[in-house]
Amino acid sequence: MLVLAIGDAYIPSRAIDIPAKFKKLLSIPDKISHVAVLGNSADSPEFLRFLNNVSSNITMVRGDFDTQSYRIEVPGQTTGSNEFIDKNIPLTAIIKEGEFKIGCCSGSTIVPKSDPLSLLSLARQLDVDIMLWGGTHNVEAYTLEEKFFVNPGSCTGAFSTDWPIMGRQTKNDTETEELGKDVKDMKLEEKNNSEEKTKDAAKETGEAEKSKEEDTKDDENVKEDTKKEENTKESKEDSKKPEEETETKTIEEADIDISELEISGSNVPSFCLLDTQGSTCTLYIYMFIDGEVKVDKVTYTKPSEDEQ
Amino acid sequence: MSYSDSLDLAISNVKQQTTLMQRCLQHGRLMDALKHSSALLTELRNPHLLPKQYYELYILVFDALSALSAYLVDSGNVSGDNNGSDASASASAAAAATHLADLYELVQYAGNVVPRLYLMITVGTSYLRVPGAPREEILKDMLEMCRGVQNPMRGLFLRYYLSQRTKQLLVEGDTPEALEFNCQFLIANFIEMNKMWVRLQHQGPLREREQRAKERRELQILVGAQIVRLSQLVDNNVEIYAAEILPVVLAQVVQCRDVLCQEYLYDVVCQVFPDEFHLRTLDTLLQTTLQLNAQTSVARIVLTLVDRLNGYVQRLRDNDSDAHIPATVFDTFWEHLTKLNEERPDLGLMEITGIVRGLMTLSLTWYPDNLQNIDKLLGLAAQKCNDEGGAERDPESVPRLVELLAAPDASEGEVDARNDAQQISHNLASATYYYGVITQCPSFIELLVLLDAGAQVKVVARIIECFVSVQAEKPATLQIESKDQLERLLRVVEPLVKSGAKQDTVTGQLAQEQLAKFCHLIAACLPASREYSTVEKRMEALLMLKNVYHRGGRGIRHTYPAIITCMWREIRRCAVYEVRIRGKRDYYRNLNKQTFKYVARCISDLFNVCCGASSDGSSSAAATDLVYKLNLASAALADELSLEEIAYNFFSEAFAVFEDSLSDARSQWQALVSMAQTLQKTRSLHVENYYSNLAVRTTLHGSKLLRKQDQCRAVYACSHLWWATEIAAIGEEEGRTETFFREGKRVLECLQRSLRAADSLMDNVESCELMVEILNVCLYYFIHGEEQTTHVGVGYINGLIELVKTNLRSLQMEQEQEQEQANANGNGATVAPRYVMALDGTYVQVPESNNASSAATQTKLKDISINEMVRVPVEHFQRTCTYIENQRDIDARFQTVVL
Repeated sequence: MLVLAIGDAYIPSRAIDIPAKFKKLLSIPDKISHVAVLGNSADSPEFLRFLNNVSSNITMVRGDFDTQSYRIEVPGQTTGSNEFIDKNIPLTAIIKEGEFKIGCCSGSTIVPKSDPLSLLSLARQLDVDIMLWGGTHNVEAYTLEEKFFVNPGSCTGAFSTDWPIMGRQTKNDTETEELGKDVKDMKLEEKNNSEEKTKDAAKETGEAEKSKEEDTKDDENVKEDTKKEENTKESKEDSKKPEEETETKTIEEADIDISELEISGSNVPSFCLLDTQGSTCTLYIYMFIDGEVKVDKVTYTKPSEDEQ
Repeated sequence: MSYSDSLDLAISNVKQQTTLMQRCLQHGRLMDALKHSSALLTELRNPHLLPKQYYELYILVFDALSALSAYLVDSGNVSGDNNGSDASASASAAAAATHLADLYELVQYAGNVVPRLYLMITVGTSYLRVPGAPREEILKDMLEMCRGVQNPMRGLFLRYYLSQRTKQLLVEGDTPEALEFNCQFLIANFIEMNKMWVRLQHQGPLREREQRAKERRELQILVGAQIVRLSQLVDNNVEIYAAEILPVVLAQVVQCRDVLCQEYLYDVVCQVFPDEFHLRTLDTLLQTTLQLNAQTSVARIVLTLVDRLNGYVQRLRDNDSDAHIPATVFDTFWEHLTKLNEERPDLGLMEITGIVRGLMTLSLTWYPDNLQNIDKLLGLAAQKCNDEGGAERDPESVPRLVELLAAPDASEGEVDARNDAQQISHNLASATYYYGVITQCPSFIELLVLLDAGAQVKVVARIIECFVSVQAEKPATLQIESKDQLERLLRVVEPLVKSGAKQDTVTGQLAQEQLAKFCHLIAACLPASREYSTVEKRMEALLMLKNVYHRGGRGIRHTYPAIITCMWREIRRCAVYEVRIRGKRDYYRNLNKQTFKYVARCISDLFNVCCGASSDGSSSAAATDLVYKLNLASAALADELSLEEIAYNFFSEAFAVFEDSLSDARSQWQALVSMAQTLQKTRSLHVENYYSNLAVRTTLHGSKLLRKQDQCRAVYACSHLWWATEIAAIGEEEGRTETFFREGKRVLECLQRSLRAADSLMDNVESCELMVEILNVCLYYFIHGEEQTTHVGVGYINGLIELVKTNLRSLQMEQEQEQEQANANGNGATVAPRYVMALDGTYVQVPESNNASSAATQTKLKDISINEMVRVPVEHFQRTCTYIENQRDIDARFQTVVL
């Protein structure tokens, strides 16, 4: 059975809905035993109903834009029709799945935001093997100190007010650009995307294995893990931007093609599924890229008890 | 001779007589055979049979008489076959003719009228088969003689028998005269049958009217069959149909003034004659409906016609895409409808709108691009609705009106049968239709506003749902090309907006959710339009939207966040233009400042409307929290764009909300942590002491929280405000970036203050847990750098560890005593539940069973024992120690930490 990790839907405040293809993927009955909702997803009764259909076993934690409770439709006990009950949303929750203890938090109370060492400290406090968190709208997965950290990103690719993940051009950057360049860039980006994903997955798995052997604690390692997710795209793109200053043609707003990622500051829509078998947890990362769903796989093995 | 008492007896009698009759025929005893047939025909005289029973009997009789008829025909022919020559053949034919003519006379002497006429028809039709028989005379005679039976049911069957027997035997030849005669024959028979059928209604007592109507429905097929025969006869001769048949049939329909007959016959005529005939005679068909009985449903008739013609045009298109589509069909219908509406003020809203609905499907099928027709139809519905004094007068008509506005085609009921691709293209077509109607048909709004609020919401919700579902498949569905179009769109959603002002239920929330999605939809569609291709124009549109949504009262709690998000998106776009478009940097910068002001306006509207004293407690608290968070998020966005002034204003606005309105202890702590989290990621505020002002203020508020544990946790979170960490997105990197804002001295101060709060806590379990938490924060800084920068050195950590240990020891003493007690009571064997403490100081039970989860929202658990509580800090401390030990292999500095 699978655990669905999903979060930061922000329906309807920042997004209309999750991609239809995601809905279809998740609508297979009796596969998912548990839904972990990592915040900012409780505003839409329609979306809650959808999650409830995926699995009625929902663990929800409170994101920064969540209220203290959410309202969910349950089969009425006294009357035949459904009734609505208010459920409190806690800040943190723990799920037990097979041999794994899984901690959930929205990330809204982690200072500094999404900081790996802070998350590690929380995982220690909650005594969990896997820490699920959210709030960044950017899918991430890494192993640190033999614990597994997973952020499923935003399932809608909702707008984020954090520093944009794509990286913003600073003011020193080119002021004008060739018109054709955007198109070229787009193509490159597409290619990079697909290459990168497979590479990333491979690297990630490698990383997970590696960190099991040599215990790491220092920032460098932590940073590498997180940076890989966030920055590969950006750095590649940056290095390919030629600095051209000679254009005289006036450029209008309509001529400039701004990618959705640049506007929303979020990454593509994504969610994760965790499949636990014995002491191994296989993480499937689902991303919605250019209208297609891409899947990555990362494996994490929990160290045996006596090693600890 | 008399008929049997029961159906069973009648059947067995018919069967018996049939056998006898056949035996006689075998022996050539025709007279005896006729006697037996007469006997079996007597059963058809029974006046007590129900239509179904009579029909059953009729079938048996028909078969028996077929045998007789076959014999009569054969006997004529056999005599002819014996002699080979033509002359004798014609002679024997003449003999047969004479024989049958004699017989025809003979059977007229049968005693009762019913058996007599059946026999007459049987002999007569056999006679018709003989070459050279006087067909016209015989046919006329039979038709005439049938008048002898005037009882409706018996008469109907008798004439049905006549029409069945004469099927192949009418006047031969393709001459117009022959056709004319045959038509007249069928029509005459039909007219008589119809009269009897109508008369049947008026038999028997009044209270059995329903029963009569039911019986008539069972018999209608007999009458309908005559029309079918007519249609077979005329084949595709539309001239004779239009000139001879239709007028006569319709005249009967009108004259009889019978509802059942009028509806049934119209239906049959529509079904059995070809579509081309109807197109040719459309005017007559429709005009005649004006003369029908007041109870007859004209709508039903029109809808049948519309269905027929819609099928026709679809077949036409399927066969040949360039097929010529007659242009005036809608106009004919429309003319009829307006006339009907004038001449029949007695027709209710339901009836008129039923026709309107039919004509809508007609227009959409025949002329899908012509929205003028739709406008006319909606206009007429609106006018009728007004005449009737509004839809409230006739609640039944409300769903119909909703349908008119929201259901563009009739196939709505088949949704389940569609596959995905069909569904998508259907949705797309609907969306295009809705948009067309909204922007081009003024009557749409006219009719919409006449509905009650609930129905309005239904219509609008459906339309928005359609738009939204299409947006997912095909971005920029709505091509909003002018301000006027946008205004019309907004007028349509207004009912939904207003519904939000009243209710705060789930249904109300669903409506508001639709509006929020609609906002995203508009914002997504705008950039594709020429009119709204600039940020400035789009902001204008968003403000229009905001003004409309503002009428939703407290509903804006659900809709404004969407508007704000759309504004934020424009801000990010604008920032890109600022960088990329030469020479307009100031313009875009100012534009963004202006946009931020609009965002601030939205937030303060939210505050004014939703957080006031008038709203109830919990929703007001939730709204206050929202306002606070929106301020923080806007501040973060402004900071990223180096608009420090604006960022600072949003932060101070957040503080104002915190100080004045956030009263709940729980949300205060969370609010401060959120503030710290957001502030820690800012980069532009290090001018004018903005940053340190805000950081100090956050910490100060933290240390002033009501509960010590909240103070402690808030202040250690605030320590991070003096220790910036990398933001990879802007190229910062730990170890390389030199310019991080870091003040170790302040960090240490925070930790010390936090520890003081932990120490002064009365509950020593939580006090210990807090100290372990602080220890972990210390380790964070220890990893981050040397003592001279972080001020958190090994000495401080060792001291803290010692303190924790001492406290834990005294805790454990308490625990051991309890343990002994538990053992003495013999309860030691049960496994005690385990707990950990969550971020906010709540105890969370560690789930033991698979697939379970747990979470707590209360700080104090009632059923937790002291032992279980003590284990929380003890085990947390143990895990921390293990961590420190593990770090020793990687960082030598950890070896100096004494455990």
